[in-house]
Amino acid sequence: MNNNPQEPKLLEHDADGIRELDNLLPRWWVWLFYGCIAFAAAYLVYYHILKAGPLQAAEYDSEWKTGEALKSAALAKFEATIGTLTPSQDKAVLAQGQQVFLTYCAPCHRPDGGGLVGPNLCDDYWIHGSNFVDNIKIIINGVPDKGMLTWRGILKPSEVHAVASHIYTLRGTKPPNPKPREDQAPKPTGPSPFE
Amino acid sequence: MNTDLETFKYDNRIVRAFAIATVIWGLVGFSAGLLIACQLFWPELNLNLQFTTFGRLRPLHTNAVIFAFVGNGMFMGIIVSAAVTLPLGLTTSKEYAELEWPIDIAIALVWVVFAVNLFGTILKRREKHLYVAIWFYIATAITVAMLHIVNSLEIPATAFKSYSVYAGVQDALVQWWYAHNAVAFFLTTSYLGLMYYFLPKAAERPVFSYRLSIIHFWALIFIYIWAGPHHLLYTALPDWAQSLGMAFSIMLIAPSWGGMLNGLLTLRGAWNKVREEPMLKFMVVAITAYGMATLEGPMLSIKSVNALSHYTDWTIAHVHTAALGWNGFLTFSVLYWLFPRLYNTKLYSMRLANWHFWLGLLGMMFYVIPMYWSGITQGLMWKQFTNEGFMQYPNFLETVLQLIPMYKLRAIGGTFYLLGACLMTYNLYRTAKAGVFVPEVEVQAPALKSQPEHPEEKHPWGHRWIESKPMVLTGFALVAVAIGGLVEFIPMWIIKENVPTIAAVKPYTPLEVLGRDIYIREGCVGCHSQMIRPFRSETERYGEYSKAGEFVYDHPFLWGSKRTGPDLHRIGGKYPDAWHFNHMDDPRLVSPGSIMPRYPWLLSQKLETNSLPARIGTLRKVGVPYPDGFEATAQLNLEAQQKRIVDNLKQGAITNAPADREIIALVAYLQRLGTDIKVKPAAPAAPGAPATPSPSPAVPIAPKTAQLDASNQTRN
Repeated sequence: MNNNPQEPKLLEHDADGIRELDNLLPRWWVWLFYGCIAFAAAYLVYYHILKAGPLQAAEYDSEWKTGEALKSAALAKFEATIGTLTPSQDKAVLAQGQQVFLTYCAPCHRPDGGGLVGPNLCDDYWIHGSNFVDNIKIIINGVPDKGMLTWRGILKPSEVHAVASHIYTLRGTKPPNPKPREDQAPKPTGPSPFE
Repeated sequence: MNTDLETFKYDNRIVRAFAIATVIWGLVGFSAGLLIACQLFWPELNLNLQFTTFGRLRPLHTNAVIFAFVGNGMFMGIIVSAAVTLPLGLTTSKEYAELEWPIDIAIALVWVVFAVNLFGTILKRREKHLYVAIWFYIATAITVAMLHIVNSLEIPATAFKSYSVYAGVQDALVQWWYAHNAVAFFLTTSYLGLMYYFLPKAAERPVFSYRLSIIHFWALIFIYIWAGPHHLLYTALPDWAQSLGMAFSIMLIAPSWGGMLNGLLTLRGAWNKVREEPMLKFMVVAITAYGMATLEGPMLSIKSVNALSHYTDWTIAHVHTAALGWNGFLTFSVLYWLFPRLYNTKLYSMRLANWHFWLGLLGMMFYVIPMYWSGITQGLMWKQFTNEGFMQYPNFLETVLQLIPMYKLRAIGGTFYLLGACLMTYNLYRTAKAGVFVPEVEVQAPALKSQPEHPEEKHPWGHRWIESKPMVLTGFALVAVAIGGLVEFIPMWIIKENVPTIAAVKPYTPLEVLGRDIYIREGCVGCHSQMIRPFRSETERYGEYSKAGEFVYDHPFLWGSKRTGPDLHRIGGKYPDAWHFNHMDDPRLVSPGSIMPRYPWLLSQKLETNSLPARIGTLRKVGVPYPDGFEATAQLNLEAQQKRIVDNLKQGAITNAPADREIIALVAYLQRLGTDIKVKPAAPAAPGAPATPSPSPAVPIAPKTAQLDASNQTRN
């Protein structure tokens, strides 16, 4: 045993030459432990016994409401202006539109717009109306019966305009092996301004 | 004291065998990790072989590192420090890329051998009182056995395929109770045992506080077991279980730090040795890494932190702080201590060991810092909304491409770490060459029964009593580790409200079952979650959040824990069949820049259907309500669905796809995912309200392939 009063007691027990001191628990460590236990107990009581705080479903509800209100306002504003929109010829807008097209539209319409599961976007025989505003409406509302998704609320208003502008440039291009025309009543639409 | 001396021998051969196994498995595990790390920025690195994809190698990496490297390290250390005197043939052939049922039984047997050995040693010991290191080994032995057996309950369908008896939410709870406590009792308690032996040995200092050992041991093993649900925060797991997981994780901080303190404070008065002795340097970094990781773990268990961190590289950074720092460095430390003693010589080169230390430390920095950066970046990008309430980065791939530079830096870190381990291997090899192996060490100690009771052994806390009764200590430890699991499992099993059923959710069709098994075989779950959390940032991206009732036929559950790719729970109906076909053949064809590997073999390999009846029968046994005799018509059902998919593919300009290939089954499964409950297209169902179920089709469900789901708000 050591005789230094500064040193804590050295215990007699010896395990393969290893000895142990009998220091007291560090006070800050003990308080840390108590603090964590108190926090844990308070947390469980607050949420599950007093039921004072929202659980995850309620939390989601309020988050959803706030976000949805913002989005609906923006969409309503955009939709009020749809009738006046014209295809953009701005290079940056068209580049953005192409990016959106490749990401979201190409899986069904092919990267070149020649049609795959979705119809060919390059010919003049459009199923749901072929002017620019019709196209924007289809993008926004979709055609659920035919498998066209609604992009309302997914694409930002500026992206809808950009991708519609890009699609407008596809018309009149001649991709290889296009999907055959599917419309019921062809309506000639005249040449694309990009031809 | 010197009366009745017994002479006996420590068998160094076993220790050497485990030490060598540790080194070899370390190199294998590190190399596998480096390879898959590189695949994340260089997907072609699997050389287009199905055996080397990320999904298949990731389990190899984790299993090699956890069970082979750390496992052998643990055995090595336990044998030294518990002084085994009953040499048994402890051979472990640890080649489990897939831990299927025959291997599960083998593991259980190996563990039994280990436990017999450990307890046999303890009973035949010559120490009256069990030292703290032994307490930790006892906790390790009994808890790992309990975890492994409970989690591996499965019913075999074929020689190498089984289905878990648990489904969905329950399977998730059991699995994370297992996985979390594998960390606790395989990677932590066993290594604390090693620390308690090797640190005071090397520092030649007494352990700081016996009292701290007692408190932190019992608190640690009791509290750890409850914390598993913190891996399932904001999932379909009931709120009360999530809250328990979080609360107990917070309480775990102090007990974990008790171990760190007892380690670091033992070095008081010996810090000069740390400067000179590489073995102690490794030890100090290991203990520090342990302290950091065990503070970070509870922080990540706070729900609002987890909301950001979960599914990102933050978790990867966290586990590697612990794995590279705590387990890796502690193992290196023990090896450097052991080899010179096994070969009765000096370490070949201190200089090389110092190089290893700095390379390893640098490697860790280059690993974890980029991963924190990457995890926080991606987590924030996923959650970012514009002022107008739209997702700022709706395209998942865009958030992945941001991380590529971080993945490259991480690979550099891994390379450093591996190089360090190679230096060590060389150093140890030269050490062995220079010395002469000492196969047995003859020692003398007084027989247990002749040891007198020391008056000094009385301690005010009375813990000495249990230290001399190993079986009582084992019993108490078993009670301590059993309580948490029981409190969490039993309500989950007996109270139905915990998993509200949804009438529209039906069992998978035969083709979908086989497709799901391919999904499992390819390890898709390693990169793709199937659990949409209740956040607007997730429901906007993926669709309605996942409900507990949707997973009742999922044996096993496939919620995943990391989103290297997007969540797939509502992928069904989002893309046409042809898109999936092309995407599996070459992801970059349809998603330029994607880091997913190619799966061309799915397009050429024939679907194995011979085992279909056995699989259906086994699934029925674990609780999936297939009608009696369904096995007889399963094949016809399967062929009809194959034909529908082939027809759909023709629509997508794929005219030559044979119906009997694996890809068809996988497409069937993917198109089914998350479609059983439907959300109204224009106005998403009021949140919180039960999802609108689709008209419930008869079992088995007709596939809805290639019918684009208009309700789905998901992309990429």
